[in-house]
Amino acid sequence: MSEQNQTESILQAIHLTQKLRSSVAKVFQNMADGCSVEKGNEKHILNKFHESLLAVNNDISDLEKTGNMLVSPSPVTANSMYLSNDPAIDKTPVYQQILQAYKWSNKISDLSGLAANVLEAQNKLKRSQPITIMQAKRPKRLPPTGHAFPQTVVEQTLNRLRKLPEISDIKTTHPLGSHAVLQITLGSVLKAQVALRGLMIEWVNVRGYTEENPDDSKLELWAKSRYEVFQKVTESCTAASLYFYTPHNAEFAINLFMKWFTQYRTLFSAKCSKCCNHYLNGLPPTWRDLATYEPYHDACRQ
Amino acid sequence: MGVVCVYMYPVPEGKSGQQVVDSMQRQLELLGAVKTGNFNVDCETYLSNNPQGTPQRSLHLLHNSEQPASCFSVLDTGTTLVADVLFEVLMAKLTQSKSGKDGFYQQRKGFKIESKGPRFEISDFVIKIGSVSMASNFKGILVEVEYCPCAIPAECWDLMREMMQSFMGTVADTPPAIVKSKKDQFYTPADTINQYLEHFTNFRKATVASQQPR
Repeated sequence: MSEQNQTESILQAIHLTQKLRSSVAKVFQNMADGCSVEKGNEKHILNKFHESLLAVNNDISDLEKTGNMLVSPSPVTANSMYLSNDPAIDKTPVYQQILQAYKWSNKISDLSGLAANVLEAQNKLKRSQPITIMQAKRPKRLPPTGHAFPQTVVEQTLNRLRKLPEISDIKTTHPLGSHAVLQITLGSVLKAQVALRGLMIEWVNVRGYTEENPDDSKLELWAKSRYEVFQKVTESCTAASLYFYTPHNAEFAINLFMKWFTQYRTLFSAKCSKCCNHYLNGLPPTWRDLATYEPYHDACRQ
Repeated sequence: MGVVCVYMYPVPEGKSGQQVVDSMQRQLELLGAVKTGNFNVDCETYLSNNPQGTPQRSLHLLHNSEQPASCFSVLDTGTTLVADVLFEVLMAKLTQSKSGKDGFYQQRKGFKIESKGPRFEISDFVIKIGSVSMASNFKGILVEVEYCPCAIPAECWDLMREMMQSFMGTVADTPPAIVKSKKDQFYTPADTINQYLEHFTNFRKATVASQQPR
């Protein structure tokens, strides 16, 4: 019985709250609408306003009375309060989502497997070929020829490269017999040491134009540059020499590499193609795109 | 040795030089600069003892802590001599009076001016914030920015401008006159000294101008 009373009074309280809200809304509506006041008519308007305020006041006192009548519900045990927080498992779309995610991950693993196959077939970075027992049965692959060029051919290729306008000078030395080591000067920006094996690029090291060799007569192939810029450029060049590497057409590869490398003539003066700035984190754009030759900051190239 | 730009950084009214140096230091540290010690550039001036009637010539003797074994002397005609620090011994001989005669040069007393302060590095940039003082009076602030990997100003000016504007604002809009005149040539330590001398001369002129009305 008491429970029914309780429900009734709660219903009443809700009803009263709605009433209060509507009367308050009415007051504000009247104020927001505004009205033109004729002379001598101010009292009428004021009365109207006063009445609506009184209505609000009455509603509040009614609501308070009803509120006092409400008894707080019987004490509940601590855990039962959380009962209503449990989600209805049947209504959440977990299953559909999981199914979707599963489908996607399956698709991704399939596609990445395909991509890996394609990339591996196009881009073999392995320079040595493991000798397998099954070799005799397989169709024979041509052995790489890049290392087996006579010195005269190497000289001819270098003479052609010397004609590139950005390159100031290419010095060749043969410190260990037949294979050449190049010292390339690019404008007055940088100097690069390139070790060749035949016409294959084995090692690239870039240093600043003003950084002298410790001993001018000797070739300093291993000393890294003092400056971060040239260390970054060295990294990029190493990456590029692997990218352009083609074991059966070494002359083509070295031409492509040099054409790409000459883009560093504007190392300090070029703007990044993405952020259109020169300066980022203490460095100029140190990466040149391998296909388009556009300059990028290391952070901007992705 | 890279390209160096030296700028006079204005001290706003109501702020002390130290406050400006501190706030700039904080700004640089936010940009990732690492403090790598202190630096010092000083300048002394000598006047020639000429026979009467001929104008006196001045000679500026400068040292830079970045080139500790060198001594720079600049004549008022702009001729710059880079020598060993032993050159000072020769200068001492030239200023000595001997057998009743005056020396060839005499030092201008109380005219020694120097710029010193912390030195910072961000990647390949070296930044020095120097407080200029003459006879232990604070005169102003000189900020030096060096880009080490490049030796030709025209190549790296845009890069340096962007870097400098990140903490100095519009002060670094145009290259210093000496850098501008040598845009396509190799930059040398003597050019840095000439930039400093130009600023020192301006500070001295400002001091003389402010003393005269009294």
